[in-house]
Amino acid sequence: MDVVAVDISGRHAVDGKYIMVSASVAARISPEGIERTRRMRLVPLVAESVDMEVVIKLIEDSVRGLHGTVLTEKGDLYNLERWRVESILGREFKYPESLGERRAIELAHHASFAGRKLVLKLMEEGLGEGSWKMTAGGV
Amino acid sequence: MKSEKTAVLLFREDLRGGPHPEKMAELRGLAESAGYTVLAEISQRRGRDRRFQLGRGKIAEAVTLEPEKLIFQNPLSPGQMFNISKEFEVQAIDRFNLILEIFASRASTREAKLQVELARLSYEAPFVRTIESLKKLSERPGYRGSGSYDVSMYRDIKGRMAKIRTELKAVEETGERRRERRRELGFDLVALAGYTNAGKSTLFNRLTEETVTAKDQPFTTLSPTTRAVAAKERRFLLTDTVGFIDDLPLFLIKAFRSTLAEIIEADLVLLVVDLSDPPEVLRDKLASCHQTLWDCGCYAPIVSVLNKVDRIDPEVALERCELIQDLAPNPAFISAREGHGLDGLVDLIAEKLPPLEEFEIRLPSSEAGMKQLSRLYEVAEPLEVKYGEEIEILLRGRREIVARAMKGGEGQELLPLQPLVEE
Repeated sequence: MDVVAVDISGRHAVDGKYIMVSASVAARISPEGIERTRRMRLVPLVAESVDMEVVIKLIEDSVRGLHGTVLTEKGDLYNLERWRVESILGREFKYPESLGERRAIELAHHASFAGRKLVLKLMEEGLGEGSWKMTAGGV
Repeated sequence: MKSEKTAVLLFREDLRGGPHPEKMAELRGLAESAGYTVLAEISQRRGRDRRFQLGRGKIAEAVTLEPEKLIFQNPLSPGQMFNISKEFEVQAIDRFNLILEIFASRASTREAKLQVELARLSYEAPFVRTIESLKKLSERPGYRGSGSYDVSMYRDIKGRMAKIRTELKAVEETGERRRERRRELGFDLVALAGYTNAGKSTLFNRLTEETVTAKDQPFTTLSPTTRAVAAKERRFLLTDTVGFIDDLPLFLIKAFRSTLAEIIEADLVLLVVDLSDPPEVLRDKLASCHQTLWDCGCYAPIVSVLNKVDRIDPEVALERCELIQDLAPNPAFISAREGHGLDGLVDLIAEKLPPLEEFEIRLPSSEAGMKQLSRLYEVAEPLEVKYGEEIEILLRGRREIVARAMKGGEGQELLPLQPLVEE
């Protein structure tokens, strides 16, 4: 089964801003684990809020062009029903059930966590300031 | 005066979701398994009531039947339990408490008793704290006095929990040493896992020709049982374990850690599934098994054992297998009760166990070399032994086990292991 597992790190305010990194992992999985990782993408975003619109936009940017069913943790989309997320995203979507799906999300989580640490370090060093301008929707 | 235990089952269905008759059916099964006579099932579709979970009228309706207990499908907060018992003078418990009751009545070993006690105390600690504070709501500590509240009960619970954890840790370490010893003896470890009442114990009895208790009721097995099985040139130890159930709190999983370790440490997990369940229930149960395996930290390969195929048509079985293909790796259709499909399952187990390799080993022709040879005989299958200036052995076994047996030799210079053929 081809999936794109997505995880967002940084969904908490730091000085009134949400410095988030979304990681998406395109992988082929079996019910018990990851068989092959195809691609991985990190998308940073500095936003004023983490409402549904912002999260959906970030996920859309993150999974664009990657093939497979989108997977995220329930909490990432505020426990919205599956059919509603599918109609908003306009593509196949599900919450993780099998061990393989959970492992894919775990992998995305490690990537987004490491990506956010890198973004924070770069911001601290004043690098790439132009890229981190604050937006409500996306970079 | 009634001599039997009676209960009324109550279920608050969420406004957002659809109806869930299977949840009420599961609760009835649990209540009957705990020895209750169910007087009525009452459900209500509404938002959560802060004081009573369901509406006051529904609880009053249940109380008119004069049950010994009200059993709620939904979790009750300490405040809700307190309010119901105070207002309606009837004991209210939730599904989780009912599961603990079943566990407590079935726990027979010291380990199981400790695990149940730890789970019960973990569950009750916040309740005791809340009820203590609710009872003393109108009082003030130290007012016209210099005393403080007696909080010893909560502290006692915490102290007892710490003591049980220490004892369970010792049990866990013993289990770990036992598993290590079994591995050293050349056995592969296979564990049975799956939703409660899926037929794990029946399958265990079939494969091991044992007679452990197997009944058509949830949570018949609490403590693990292990027996040896020899099949297809492989010998493995099969362990029957406690069943899983939906919405298990993490602290219960933690309390049963030493039992679940049998699954975590296994070389292969047989995930037993009741294929005769309706499709949506089947999927939900499988998903909750995956959730529990994930919570335990299980990384072993899985073989899905689709049990009870004798209860459904072969076409229906295939349809259901397709429906759960993303949750059921390496499926094998069996009927443990009738003994169908067991040969295929054993073949699949032999195929999925860590592979055996062939090794050529040379030992000195001395007393120490003979000791080493005898140790190798215990852990692997010797294919050819030549005695000359040196003892030349061709044997088949698992790489790490043969390596460990070779390390056991004292004062000898041994050739490194040479894998000849990989199976």
